[in-house]
Amino acid sequence: MSPVLPIPVVQVLQVVTIAAVAPGVSGVMARVEARLQGRTGPRVLQPYSDLRKLFRKEALAPEGASWVFLAAPLAAMTCYLTVPLLIPVLTTFGLPLGYMGDILGGGFILSLASFLIAVAALETGSPYAQLGASRAKTFSAITEPVILFVVFTVALVTGTDLPYALAATVRSSAGQIVRPAHVLAAAALFMVILYETGRIPVETHSGTNEFGMIEEARPFEHSGPYFALLKWGSAMKQLILYTILINVFVAPWGLASTAQAGSVVLAIVALVAKAVALGVVVAVIDNSFAKLRLFKITEFVSAAFLLAVLGVFTLYLGGG
Amino acid sequence: MAGAAAVAAPSVFSGTANVIAVGVLLVEFGMFRQALLRGQVRLYAAQSTLISVLAVVVAAARHLPDLYVLAGLSFALKVVIVPVVLRRLLRGLGARGEGPGWTDIAGSGSLSLATTVLVAIVLAAFGFFSVAALGIHSPVLPTTALAVSVAVVLVAFVLMIMRRDVASQAIGFFSLENGVSLTALVVAAGLPLILEIVFLFDLLVAVVVFGLLIRVHHGRAESLSTADLTRLRG
Repeated sequence: MSPVLPIPVVQVLQVVTIAAVAPGVSGVMARVEARLQGRTGPRVLQPYSDLRKLFRKEALAPEGASWVFLAAPLAAMTCYLTVPLLIPVLTTFGLPLGYMGDILGGGFILSLASFLIAVAALETGSPYAQLGASRAKTFSAITEPVILFVVFTVALVTGTDLPYALAATVRSSAGQIVRPAHVLAAAALFMVILYETGRIPVETHSGTNEFGMIEEARPFEHSGPYFALLKWGSAMKQLILYTILINVFVAPWGLASTAQAGSVVLAIVALVAKAVALGVVVAVIDNSFAKLRLFKITEFVSAAFLLAVLGVFTLYLGGG
Repeated sequence: MAGAAAVAAPSVFSGTANVIAVGVLLVEFGMFRQALLRGQVRLYAAQSTLISVLAVVVAAARHLPDLYVLAGLSFALKVVIVPVVLRRLLRGLGARGEGPGWTDIAGSGSLSLATTVLVAIVLAAFGFFSVAALGIHSPVLPTTALAVSVAVVLVAFVLMIMRRDVASQAIGFFSLENGVSLTALVVAAGLPLILEIVFLFDLLVAVVVFGLLIRVHHGRAESLSTADLTRLRG
């Protein structure tokens, strides 16, 4: 029998896992993407080296930018460190701080981070950063209804909107997995995640073409440790969203049901494996589709909205 | 952990039936976006495949061996023969006189895609709520699949109304028939086989008639669009 970890340690481990693994998952995805395109691609550990390099560099702020410009990366990072407390990262049972907020609460904290970064981008006075901020806010306003309908679906399925409750419901029987409401909500959430993480078909993740940029344009003016925090934060946001999709909707298996050290370690390994698998799927999608024109993004979002709304409809008749 | 207000999951049979029915509806929505005639025909074939799969599921769940025959027949007819016939009839109608493959029918919608989808969602909602208002409850009937089939029919109407090219209108009509087959499978799985087969061959006749109409229209108007048909306008 492995020793039982104290609950607060497990709680901290949830945050540490997300923070430590996130750049690695981005690295694997960049590598897979490159291989699919016939390039050798960067090393898997490249994002860590990038972060280390950036943390050593000097930080500059544009002339006239106020304290908000420098505070925003720190505040956004704080938000990204808070969300892993609310979602099932490693355990099937709710940890003490896990009931601080529901799915909506987690969503609010993530949008707060995105809002702060947008405000910092507006501070710079740089046209590209401002363009990115304005686009990001415009499109997040139209993805918001999709997220709401996904939450409605979860609420109708479980009677609550705690992520732990939905994960437990999905684990409870095979019927819960094939029910259309669940499939539709998961698919809609996946599309929102593609948007939120700036992936094709919405945005070229690694491109330098300013015209198509949304999320990627916002940290244009940041440099040094602040830029490192933003990059790290966006990798963490990606892994947080993946974790929500995997551990709440699609595959909530492999989580630790007790606080024993062995099962917690196993849960970390399982999370990494599942996140990498999802990352590979996203990388394949990245390589199989063309980027949508900016004004076609509404079509992508309307498809996600359709899925989420149908999920609620099917539940309404009791057959979802 | 689930609260008391939670909606219970359906049985595996009705869950599967509902998922397939929702798949049929989603393919119907996919037709709004499809830009190539070839792709439109392929979507129709995919939708018909889903119907055949549903027939197999219903046959297995209700122990109706007739339905296996129907599934095979409907697969042969709707997934193989109808698309082949359609492609043959539409050959040479492309802008460059090529096969139907690259005939561009995009942009024939009278509203933007996102708006069309929203309109269709509203109509689908009407279908859902009207079936709910009927208050049909039966342990063997997957109510959601029934509601979805009504929604498929309504959305097929939206496709026929919104797209201004004859090919999409014809395929909208055929997929409407798919919606009706879905209803038949869900509500009256025990329908005599001969009737089902008659319906299927009815469809084949419709395909030939529509194909000829499309050719005649193309011969007169030199395009697949119906936007030029204004001679009788007052």
